Amino acid sequence: MDPVVRLMERVRARDVAAFESLYDSYHRLVFGISLRMLGDPMVAEDVTQTVFMKVWTSPDAFRGGSFVAWVSRVARNRALDVLRARGARPETELPADLPLDGALDDEILERLDAERVRDALSTLPAEQRAPIEMGFFGGVTHQEIARRTDTPLGTVKTRIRAGLRTLRNRLAEGVPK
Amino acid sequence: MTDPGSREEMLELVALYALGVLPRDQAALVAAFIANDDGARDEYRALRASADALAYSADEPVDSTRSARMKERLMARVSAEAASGNGAIARRRIGTNSGWLMGTGLAAAAALIFSVVTVIQDVSLRSDLAQAQRRTASLTTQLADTERVGQHDRQMVTDLVAPDARRYDVAQGAVVVRGDRVYLALSKLPALPRGKVYQAWTLPKGAKTVQPSITFPPNADGIAVIALPVDATKLGAVALSVEPDGGSKAPTTTPIFVRPLS
Repeated sequence: MDPVVRLMERVRARDVAAFESLYDSYHRLVFGISLRMLGDPMVAEDVTQTVFMKVWTSPDAFRGGSFVAWVSRVARNRALDVLRARGARPETELPADLPLDGALDDEILERLDAERVRDALSTLPAEQRAPIEMGFFGGVTHQEIARRTDTPLGTVKTRIRAGLRTLRNRLAEGVPK
Repeated sequence: MTDPGSREEMLELVALYALGVLPRDQAALVAAFIANDDGARDEYRALRASADALAYSADEPVDSTRSARMKERLMARVSAEAASGNGAIARRRIGTNSGWLMGTGLAAAAALIFSVVTVIQDVSLRSDLAQAQRRTASLTTQLADTERVGQHDRQMVTDLVAPDARRYDVAQGAVVVRGDRVYLALSKLPALPRGKVYQAWTLPKGAKTVQPSITFPPNADGIAVIALPVDATKLGAVALSVEPDGGSKAPTTTPIFVRPLS
């Protein structure tokens, strides 16, 4: 059994040590997502606390698949909530509780690290990378991306799709040196 | 979605949905498309892995002082809650049994967090936690407000595309069941004349007559994604008919479909 899944089973049994282990492994990721989206370290701290309290109080919300993917989505959606409350009101979100059922995808995700993803992102053409990062970390809609970059909406859609496909291939095959 | 051009356009929207950049109304429509199209589901799963991977690029070292402070705050809360007994477990059961109560549940969770923090304040870390409490109060209040609006839609979209959702196909789309929740994810619904609406009907297990459920209009493209306010685990069948505006107590027209959930 996946060690993270085993830890989550212990969290369900109210094992504080297991929770602490999860926190040690993933708080950088959650804080990093929050900080990148919100730009305020203190608010990012609060979001990180909220996300891990959800892990503790609602462990059943994680229904298997990649824990990294799940906790990242929870972090992103919580950060979007804060942006909404600020009045920025982005209307986008990710379905946080959806487990991946493709074993390959799970394996890829669990093998990844920050450097490898950044390397893969760097291989994308700027016109694909920019709207993807703006959408994911900026919490804005594709229409807003088109407006901000002064790019036709159809072009934005095509570039995002092509970029995500290329990114997946790069991550699955290994990033070329 | 028989037009290849339209399907290709929808697949582009699937990519946007995977990245999480679609407005909520469009996201629900794309979720319905994914629920009804095998190719779209494959596309979604592949591209969602890319979107999930993006999170890694934000993984940066955290300043050690900040990291220690964050952990101290969190572990104090968790340890106090673990020591306080079953509150968290009871709240978890509410979340599992009734997605419709999530907004209320979050408010209760906020209240519990406040009380736990208050208890901890009496023990130690007084000044740091007082500051934390003020920030937590502000944040959780904001979250509670926005959760009430968004939780239902979020749950619906999640359920519709979940791999463990059970789909019961009908000519216009599917009846989708996940846990105790049931949805109609329909497309190709003809526009109705003025004064007419679509009405869903539910047949409880073992019953012989259907019960009226909600009425709804499809959107301009003939698409409707509807959550039925009924416990899916007790349902034997779902039906749809055209009724006068305001709905009927019993079907007055031949049902468009009657779909047993088995």
